[in-house]
Amino acid sequence: MGKAARDQSVRDRIKAQREEERRRERLRRIVTIVAAAVVTFGVIGAGWWFAAQGSKPEESTGALAPISVAADGSVVMARPGVNKPVLEVYEDFQCPACRALEETSGSTIKNLATEGKAKVVYHPITIFPEDMNKGVTRGNSLRAGAAARCIPGGAPWSRFHDQLFRKQPAENTPGFSLEDLVAWGRDAGVTDPGFERCVTGQEKAQAHLAASARVLDQAKLKGTPTLKLDGKEVDNEVAFRPAELRQEVVDAAK
Amino acid sequence: MLVTSEKPTSVGTRRAISALPWVTTVSRLVLAGVLIAAGWQKIGTPVLSVQAVEAYELLPESLAKVVGYGLPILEIVVGVLLVVGLLTRVAGMISMLLMLAFVIGIASAWARGLRIDCGCFGGGGQLKAGAEPDYLLTILRDAGLFALGVVVAWFPPGRLALDSALGLTPGREVYDAEGDEEEPHVKENR
Repeated sequence: MGKAARDQSVRDRIKAQREEERRRERLRRIVTIVAAAVVTFGVIGAGWWFAAQGSKPEESTGALAPISVAADGSVVMARPGVNKPVLEVYEDFQCPACRALEETSGSTIKNLATEGKAKVVYHPITIFPEDMNKGVTRGNSLRAGAAARCIPGGAPWSRFHDQLFRKQPAENTPGFSLEDLVAWGRDAGVTDPGFERCVTGQEKAQAHLAASARVLDQAKLKGTPTLKLDGKEVDNEVAFRPAELRQEVVDAAK
Repeated sequence: MLVTSEKPTSVGTRRAISALPWVTTVSRLVLAGVLIAAGWQKIGTPVLSVQAVEAYELLPESLAKVVGYGLPILEIVVGVLLVVGLLTRVAGMISMLLMLAFVIGIASAWARGLRIDCGCFGGGGQLKAGAEPDYLLTILRDAGLFALGVVVAWFPPGRLALDSALGLTPGREVYDAEGDEEEPHVKENR
């Protein structure tokens, strides 16, 4: 074998060795990358599941604690003799985040009252200013809020309340028409013959605005929705997680 | 990769090149910090995060739900990947796409005259009473973050990156594309 040939074979061997090394290295990289990607997707999936679980609404029992309208226009839902803890709900029928709270924790709030674990006080208010969306948003909110005040409590009030959130219009389109409001009231079980006139005449509009101004001033709200437990604001992280909200209310009763 | 000597050499270009890995590292960390903060503040209230997405009126309800639930955890995970420097380039590209999507979303909300809060760091997309949306500032911020994403996706992961430790970036050939590993070195002995 000539020197050239020997050199050539050595070179070939080195080349093959290098090739092999490179292949192994490549495989190792691929395995590592795939493993990292799988773990990443796993964590994303777990986080997703966790988020979805945490905001799953409770089953509504269907039964409701007695509902009455207090002198200041707020609506109290509590079993007789249950005076604490007090869970206050500040909401605007036109506010999308309030609808989200209703959908998420609304059943929990009702259940807590039904079980006698809390005295629930609703403060339906109008929070939107006149200059927003040329007054459309405020108009929607005001019609709905005034109509709700035409119902003197009871289960119909709660059903009407729920229906308003279910039918909430977009913030920039006129909705909550007076005819609809009357019809929804009837569907909710309002039998008072004066209800229609009260809604179409917007008889409670002034009272609603006055109450809104007073509540906004007194409660020092940062926005709606706001939940307060015995006067202390409940964090959104709790308010929008039914299980945690329940726990917090139960703890406050101790 | 260049060996960075303890004393930086006086040659300007060399110094610039040796600083590059730190530039990517800092870009990674800044981008990661913002992503993690944004994701963390949203993940506790996915319902509000869905609301914020819906406030843009760009996606149908079902898709808004997917984004609302998925985005916070995606932001956190991508942020963590950027911090540790794992799958850095992919993470950089995802951040780029996210920032691009945010810029488009905010610009379109602005163009349509919507008055919303961007919902970037939590909240349901509703402006507080009396607050004015600051679209321009938000767009500029996200454009800056987009640029950081480009840096991270374009250049090697830089210092303090798991990718390098695990040998996921072939040391010498950092500027080579993945595919063309076959040709180099072969003729070097001649």
